[in-house]
Order: sequence, then structure tokens, then C-alpha cells
Amino acid sequence: MATAASSAAIHHAFILDRQELAPGVVLLGFNAPELVRMTVPGQFVMVVPPSGESAAVALGIYEASEGRASVLFFVVGKRTAKLAALREGDVISLAGPLGNGFTLGAARDVAIVAGGVGIASVLLAAQALVRAGARVRLYYGARSSVSLVERERFARHGCEVHVATDDGSVGHSGYVTELFGRTDEPPDLILACGPTPMLRAVARIAEEMNVPAQLSLEETFACGVGGCWGCVVPLAGTSAQAPSFPPPERDGSDVVYARVCKEGPVFWAHELRW
Amino acid sequence: MGARVAMVNARGVDLSVTIGALKLDYPTLMGSGCYGSGEEFAPFVDLARIGGVVLKSVTRLPRLGNPTPRLVHTPAGMLNAIGLQNPGIEWYLDHEVEKFANRPCAIIGSVAGFSVDDYAYVGERLAARAEIDALEVNISCPNVASEGETFACDPHLTAEVVRAVRGVTDKTLIVKLSPNVTDIASIAREAEAAGADALAVINTVRGMAIDVERWQPRLGNVTGGLSGAAIRPIAVLAVYEVARAVKIPIVGQGGIETASDALEFLLAGASAISIGTANFTDPQIPVGIAAELMLYLQQRNLRSLAQIVGKANVGFANAYQYEGDEG
Ligand SMILES: Cc1cc2nc3c(=O)[nH]c(=O)nc-3n(C[C@H](O)[C@H](O)[C@H](O)COP(=O)(O)OP(=O)(O)OC[C@H]3O[C@@H](n4cnc5c(N)ncnc54)[C@H](O)[C@@H]3O)c2cc1C
Ligand SMILES: Cc1cc2nc3c(=O)[nH]c(=O)nc-3n(C[C@H](O)[C@H](O)[C@H](O)COP(=O)(O)O)c2cc1C
Ligand code: FES
Repeated sequence: MATAASSAAIHHAFILDRQELAPGVVLLGFNAPELVRMTVPGQFVMVVPPSGESAAVALGIYEASEGRASVLFFVVGKRTAKLAALREGDVISLAGPLGNGFTLGAARDVAIVAGGVGIASVLLAAQALVRAGARVRLYYGARSSVSLVERERFARHGCEVHVATDDGSVGHSGYVTELFGRTDEPPDLILACGPTPMLRAVARIAEEMNVPAQLSLEETFACGVGGCWGCVVPLAGTSAQAPSFPPPERDGSDVVYARVCKEGPVFWAHELRW
Repeated sequence: MGARVAMVNARGVDLSVTIGALKLDYPTLMGSGCYGSGEEFAPFVDLARIGGVVLKSVTRLPRLGNPTPRLVHTPAGMLNAIGLQNPGIEWYLDHEVEKFANRPCAIIGSVAGFSVDDYAYVGERLAARAEIDALEVNISCPNVASEGETFACDPHLTAEVVRAVRGVTDKTLIVKLSPNVTDIASIAREAEAAGADALAVINTVRGMAIDVERWQPRLGNVTGGLSGAAIRPIAVLAVYEVARAVKIPIVGQGGIETASDALEFLLAGASAISIGTANFTDPQIPVGIAAELMLYLQQRNLRSLAQIVGKANVGFANAYQYEGDEG
């Protein structure tokens, strides 16, 4: 993506506020003015968990304004459980902003598809688009209404919000991609973040609609900064986003692996080979 | 190598270490494959405050690497199966190596291969470049089908590879051993006899994780290499055993996260240490470890790390270190 980080650094930040938005869904706000200044929509941070873990946790930058940034995460394992136990006034260390964010360009009518915790990576893009005068439709899916957090905020920010839940407790009953796929008003740009099966479905719909789509991928990270090649996804060898090596023709393959943390996490859907 | 900030404080504590002809201002190397070319971490840590970077292993031909997923987080560590993804030596020399000029720390190239000839070829090409200060020979990658680790598992093959690379360069040669063997000391002896200047002990430990929902291995490559705190006791033992078998210096590694962990390796017989996985938690860990090592020496009125190397190892055979300055 075009919107690369200008620079990144380690930040030591105070936790300003902590909210449990739903059981196991935590919003941590912290003071990090420099991070806020550097962040573009779609970038992420590596947050150091309080003790003894073998890797930092990759989290999308949810909010970034007036010196305060936040991350929104689900407690799924040990590291996120440790982050969830932090309290107001605690100090956290994080590296960022990292990765390449969304390219918003001059899009006027944008559909954002978010699944589950994917919502954490799209708020900044939605805000920037609304500010630029674009129409923004959010298609937001979750397992049930309980974990469908923050949808009022997107509405307040001027997005049209359409929701879907797997258990039908609110909105469309079923996948969010079914809901989005039924629209008869194709947008001029699609942004998506969520589980891989959802992103595949978005890519398919985007192709049918003939609308460009940018997908924010999630892979298991180790370093988060491009140093270990652990987080790769296959791209076509000719992709604009492919790293400059290995030269595919010399490898006898038309696929190259790109690092989700460095060349991504946002990729053009048509360049992915999955 | 550019200007360096030597960590010698007012009371004369010296953290520098010499490995063969390679002088390190700090005893901390960053593990191969974990630190890219160093460039990736530069925004988060002052490279002038680490000893050096061991670059990602490079092979003769480009390698796409293993299928995904390549990483799994496990209790106290992680499994990786990158599979030596790299652009091949020609591309590496043309596009990557020049980036290492003027780095404020040592730059150690890592050589991998699938035949003795490969190792000699890549070793010679890499060592010929002024940007590369020393070579590490990776005969112990557990993530490439069959051949990769065979070298480290067979004393004769180990000797052949080391002799071949020794024959093409005078630069410091560090040979990286695998823990996935019955008798690591015998392999170490072969490497020493064949001309290694130092040994890196250890590479990752073979492991596996299974997804109980999908009834499938979690890694695309099925098996992987375990690193991080989970392997530290295995690594400390390996250093202890190797230190009793050879006289050349050892770079201890495997799960080092704190200065206390580093001290275990030094006391077992390592002259320097390498940090891989801990950088993923916090890239500033190596700088903190160096600072705490200095404090540790200072508090005991010791002047250099050489004075503690192998002190917990009863049968320590490392004469090189015994002769260290006891001042
Ligand atoms: C670019 C990027 C941005 C991200 N942004 C966010 C964000 O904004 N918010 C957010 O919540 N997450 C986000 N994530 C995901 C987040 O990084 C991971 O969920 C987090 O690292 C999990 O850490 P953990 O140690 O708590 O869980 P882990 O232990 O790593 O577990 C992760 C998942 O794997 C499963 N798992 C792990 N081990 C096992 C096992 N042995 N058996 C069965 N299942 C297992 C867990 O149940 C869980 O579902 C992002 C990821 C990336 C790459
Ligand atoms: C993601 C990853 C990639 C690695 N790649 C290489 C490699 O290319 N060559 C090599 O010699 N060792 C490689 N290693 C091994 C490390 O250099 C180190 O020896 C090992 O991880 C043990 O140290 P640690 O526990 O501090 O990480 C790799 C380790 C990890 C975690
Ligand atoms: S997580 Fe290390 S390269 Fe992406």
C-alpha cells in the first residue's frame, strides 16, 4: 500500500482508561502523542505483554487523536489475558506504528466489511473517509449481539451501519458477507478486516462487483517488523506489493511470499494467491 | 564498522569479547533468522549497543521457504518453520550486502547449504565482502526436508563442511550446532578439529503442535524448531557439555531473556551469548542485558566477562578462557 509509516519507535505509555466493552472484549486507551502523530489508518502496534511471553501482541490501532491512542482486543490466549489485566495508570511499552495501512485515495462511496475483532482496524479509515466527505457503509458481523461492540460509535461518526450475527440475535442472521453481497449499490472501494474465510468471501464479491478491495490480513506474528519471515502470505510474483525478493523466475514459481507485517497487513485482494 | 560506543564504565568494567579475530564491544549477538539484516530493528534499538547481528541464513539458490503457517506460539516459546526463505547468494550480494556497510555493530553472515560444495561456495562469496565481519555456518536448520540438519547430526559431514568453508576464508568461522543429536560434544570436537574458531550452541529444538479442532498439524511444514524460554535448560546443558569438550569459544543461545539467563550460559562455559526470540517480546532486551551484566561484574569487582566464563563447569576444558585476564 502507498501509505507506509514515516517512522516507528518504541513508546512507553500510561494507560488512561480501560473498558470491558463485552465479556472478554477490552478497550485500552493510552497516552502516546508521537504514535498518534505518525499513525495512518490500518496500521498496527506490537504491544509488550507485562511479563515472560515469547512475543509481543499485534493489535490494530483503533483510535488515534489528541495524544490518546487505543487498542481494542479479544481475550483469546495468554498474552491478551495479560494485557486485559492491566489497569489505569499502568505503563505499557509498544512498538509502532507498523505496517502499511489502507489507501483511501479519492474514494467517494466506500463499503467497509468487518468481522469480529476486525472492527479494531477500520475505525480510523471510516473517520478519515467521512471527514473527506465520502459515503461510508459499515457491514459488521459477529458471533452474537454481545460481541458486536462499538457499532453505535460508527453510526455517530456518520457511517451507515449494517449488522449481521451468526446466531441471529441482531441484524441479518448469518454471515456479514451474505448481507454485503446482496447490496445492489456497488461501492467504488471496499475495505475489509476479519477472519480469513470472511476475507476470501469479500475478495470473491469484490471480483463479481468489479470493485477494488483492500484486505487487512491477520497471520501469527513473531517479530512484527519484517525480520523473521514467519508471517508470510503468497502473492503473485508480479504484484506491486511483493517484496523485492526472491526473484520468482529464478525460483521456478510465479508466487512470492510477502510479509504481512511489513508489506501488509493491508493487501489488494487481486494480488493475493490463496 | 563505523563509530562504536564501547561499554567500558568509569570503574573499568569491560564487556567486550573476542571470538577468533572478531572483536565485539558487547557480548550480545542477535540470532540468525530472528533479526533480519538489523535494519528492521534499527528504529527500536540502538545497534551501537549490541555486539552484532547474525544475518539470516543464505543459500546458493533462492528458496521460497516453507508453506504457511510458519509460526505457532507455544508455552514459553514458539515453533517456527520458515524453511530458509532467502533470495540466493547472487541476489544477496548484489542487493543486500551493501546495506551492511557502516553498521555500528559486527555483521556476521550465515551460510546454509545442501552439499559441502554449496557451503564452500556461499561461504567464499560472502566472506569476500568487506561488509561481512565473520561467518556463521548453519549446519543445523531443522526446517528443510532431510539434508539441512544432516550435517550437524553426522560428525564426518560436520568436519567436511567446516574444512571446506575454512579453506575459503580467514575470517572468524562460527559453526552452529544442533541440539537434535545424541552426543553434541562429539560433533563439537569434529568442528573444532576441522578449523572452527567458535561454536554457536544451540539452534532450535525439533518440535510439533497439533490443532485439535482440525485434526491437523499446526505448521504447514508439520514439524518446526522450538525456541524461547522453553529450550533454555536444554541449551545450558548443551553449552556445559560442549565447553568440556573443546577449547574454542562458545556463543551460547536458546531462550535467553534476561541477564540472569545470560549468566547461566556464561557460567556454563559460553564466552558470548546470542538472543533471538526475546527480541520479539521487546527489542530493547539485549541492551538491558548488557547493562545488567556490567552491573553484575561491577558489584563483584570483576573487570571482564572472561573472569566468569565456565565458573560453574567443573570439568571445563576451555583453556582459552582460563588464560583470560584474572586481574
Ligand atoms: C496486524 C494484526 C492486527 C491485529 N489486530 C488485532 C486487534 O486489533 N484486536 C485483537 O483482538 N486482535 C488483533 N490481532 C490478533 C492478535 O494479535 C492475536 O489474537 C493475539 O496475538 C493473540 O495472542 P494470545 O497470546 O492472547 O493468544 P494465542 O495464544 O496466540 O492464541 C491465538 C488464537 O489461537 C488459538 N490457539 C492458540 N494456541 C492454541 C492451542 N494450543 N490449541 C487451540 N487453539 C489455540 C487461541 O484460542 C486463539 O484463538 C491482530 C493480529 C494482526 C496480525
Ligand atoms: C523465526 C526464527 C527463524 C530462525 N532462522 C534461523 C536461520 O535462518 N538460521 C539459523 O542458523 N538459525 C535460525 N534460527 C535459530 C536462532 O538463531 C536461535 O539459534 C534459536 O532460536 C535459539 O535462540 P532463542 O531461543 O534466543 O531464539 C531461527 C529462529 C527463529 C525463532
Ligand atoms: S512477523 Fe516477522 S517478518 Fe512478519
